[in-house]
Amino acid sequence: MAATRVLGSTPSICRACTRVSKPMARRGYATMSNDIYDVICVGGGPAGLSLLAALRANPVTSNLRVALIEAQDLTKSSVLSLPPSKFSNRCSSLTPYSAQFLNSIGAWSHLQRDRIQAYQEMQVWDGVTGARIEFDWPTQGTEKTIAYMTENLNLTSGLLGRIRELGGVDIFENSKVEQIQLGEETEEMDLRSWPVVQLSNGKTLTARLLVGADGANSPVRSFAGIESRGWDYGRHGVVATLELEGEGWGGEYTKTAYQRFLPTGPVAMLPMPGNFATLVWSTTPANAALLKRLAPKDFIAVVNAAFRLSPVDLAYMHSQNEGQDEEYQWRMQHTQTNPRMLPQAVVGVQEGTVASFPLKFRHADTYIGERVALVGDAAHTIHPLAGQGLNQGQADVQSLVGAIEYAVSHGQDLGTQMWLESYNSERYAANHVLMGVCDKLHKLYSVESGPLVPLRSMGLKAVNALGPLKGFLMAQASGSGAKVI
Amino acid sequence: MATALPTRTATRCFRTTRPRTCNQHIHSRRAFHSYDHPPPPGPFGATETLILSAAYKHVPEHGFTHRALSLGACDAGLLDISPSALPDGAFSLIRYHLYTQRLALAAKSSHIFQGEDAPVGVGAKVTALTWERLMANREVIHQWQEALAVMAQPSHAPASLKELAMLSDEIWYLAGDTAVDPSWYTKRATLSMIYSSSELFMTNDHSPDYVETNKFLKRRLGEVQSVGGALGAIGQWVGFTASAGINVLRSKGARI
Repeated sequence: MAATRVLGSTPSICRACTRVSKPMARRGYATMSNDIYDVICVGGGPAGLSLLAALRANPVTSNLRVALIEAQDLTKSSVLSLPPSKFSNRCSSLTPYSAQFLNSIGAWSHLQRDRIQAYQEMQVWDGVTGARIEFDWPTQGTEKTIAYMTENLNLTSGLLGRIRELGGVDIFENSKVEQIQLGEETEEMDLRSWPVVQLSNGKTLTARLLVGADGANSPVRSFAGIESRGWDYGRHGVVATLELEGEGWGGEYTKTAYQRFLPTGPVAMLPMPGNFATLVWSTTPANAALLKRLAPKDFIAVVNAAFRLSPVDLAYMHSQNEGQDEEYQWRMQHTQTNPRMLPQAVVGVQEGTVASFPLKFRHADTYIGERVALVGDAAHTIHPLAGQGLNQGQADVQSLVGAIEYAVSHGQDLGTQMWLESYNSERYAANHVLMGVCDKLHKLYSVESGPLVPLRSMGLKAVNALGPLKGFLMAQASGSGAKVI
Repeated sequence: MATALPTRTATRCFRTTRPRTCNQHIHSRRAFHSYDHPPPPGPFGATETLILSAAYKHVPEHGFTHRALSLGACDAGLLDISPSALPDGAFSLIRYHLYTQRLALAAKSSHIFQGEDAPVGVGAKVTALTWERLMANREVIHQWQEALAVMAQPSHAPASLKELAMLSDEIWYLAGDTAVDPSWYTKRATLSMIYSSSELFMTNDHSPDYVETNKFLKRRLGEVQSVGGALGAIGQWVGFTASAGINVLRSKGARI
């Protein structure tokens, strides 16, 4: 023991050497303290929960000691008490690839399947020129799902259900992270490179690997000193649950997602089960404030107008304080539309579901540090126009679990940066490209006039005409295509 | 006039090591700005000022001409011939106008912003001050095209440009802009451009209260803001992409 102490207190020895020279630490911790965990996940959102479920479900990593820290009450996100005719306004699209991952960790069956809506086709068009791309499958019978629309609440409650079923996760809910710092060296072990999390309820937990799934303002990321760069779009995403006049033009089994690029930002209507749909409209903060203030009748009129009227008409409707409904009725008499190319008319908006959030673009410099890993929004925040944010998080989790599994199966310390490298190298460039594409799309379509407008329309039409290219893009979007990066 | 360039300490040392008697000499050709010193004397001597201030009253009627100068000399009780003491002739009168109106701006600025309750932004102040300076041309605007022609003569152009530069510097200073980064130059350059084009516009503006000039000025300033915003966004994007490139390489194991 004396020898070790001398070793530990010699300032010239690097930390890594100390760790190697002290195999005692590993033996000590199981009996030593209750507060040392192999993996501590901060944040109980979709990314954090699927990480824990995946770790518990994997036979290699199921013996790890894992904990979850969540600032809110988890019963809120575990109980989906809405009746079948009500849907939460926070919805995400899950690609078949993410769905497959959720299935492989055994969580898919815990989701309420009747509240999930798959869609097979997509219509995207330019609000200024009307150039259109139709993502439909070339022949009958080859129809495949592009994505599944899921309420975030359904996803988190399903994942929590799976975690409860598997057991073995110490859950600290209603506890905020007060402080994260490095541990200290004691007689038995050297925790100087281990993050120690202090909770608001007074508990302190020590982590071999601290995973930050704690959202855009991640405390774990600031503890690790990882910079997150990017910009604010100056746009707000307005969400709402809508009721349509029918089940969609394709009936119950062929649903279509619609997205129109307006100069203020894209507006999308994504199908939910039955006559319902969810709206995601990114627009200026002033317009968002107006939309939230409008009476339901006028709100419905503006949403219908957003898919049908010209940007000039829409801008005028946004300058009115009320009476958009009459304005819409009048303007529609003078507007030629092909109803089959547009989403069915909105007839109702579910009360209290109109909400908005600011849109940002952020990417952390790296996803890993010594005994720290970031997943989901803590690592990257993306424009919602492609509906890829949640799927990126799921892919992060899958990759990180792979890295942890490799370290564990080779008897390595899973927290050291060396064994996390594969996660960063697999995901960083892939996320960067996807984020870049979404960002460029946003920038490209916020141009209202000038030479870019005909060019982008030509590009869209060309892609629409080139069957194989379109097929490739669809396969990429649904995550079922060949890996490019 | 006095802009916060980081020379204050230098100025102090200078003052303590030199006897006070040389101040007059230093001031007339100093190459720095300072809050600590009285402003340097203007470009005109006592007699010159006497003639010019008297002649200035004749400008609305007779323009920036020798005729106005002679009449001014008579009013001041001097000989008809005395304007020949002015080396630049009629241009001295133009310069006198530019100089006095520039100095008058400081006094005006304090009362423009006095009534405002909420703090006014730098941009709004610049707009207000530029407009105030344009309005100071109101009395002589019908003579101003001739004056511009004189100012554009090769022998007078450097002095005219210097006055323009000092005017935009004065406006930024009075607006409370204290930035000393490279934008110091671009701000002054763009404001000079906007001011001179608005002035030219004003010479042909017959709308009541020069509303058209006012709109013209606001449009130009708006354009600069949007271009500045776009340049800022491009700079931000380039910075992000550069660091992201390094991050991607690092994620692939490159030791950078």
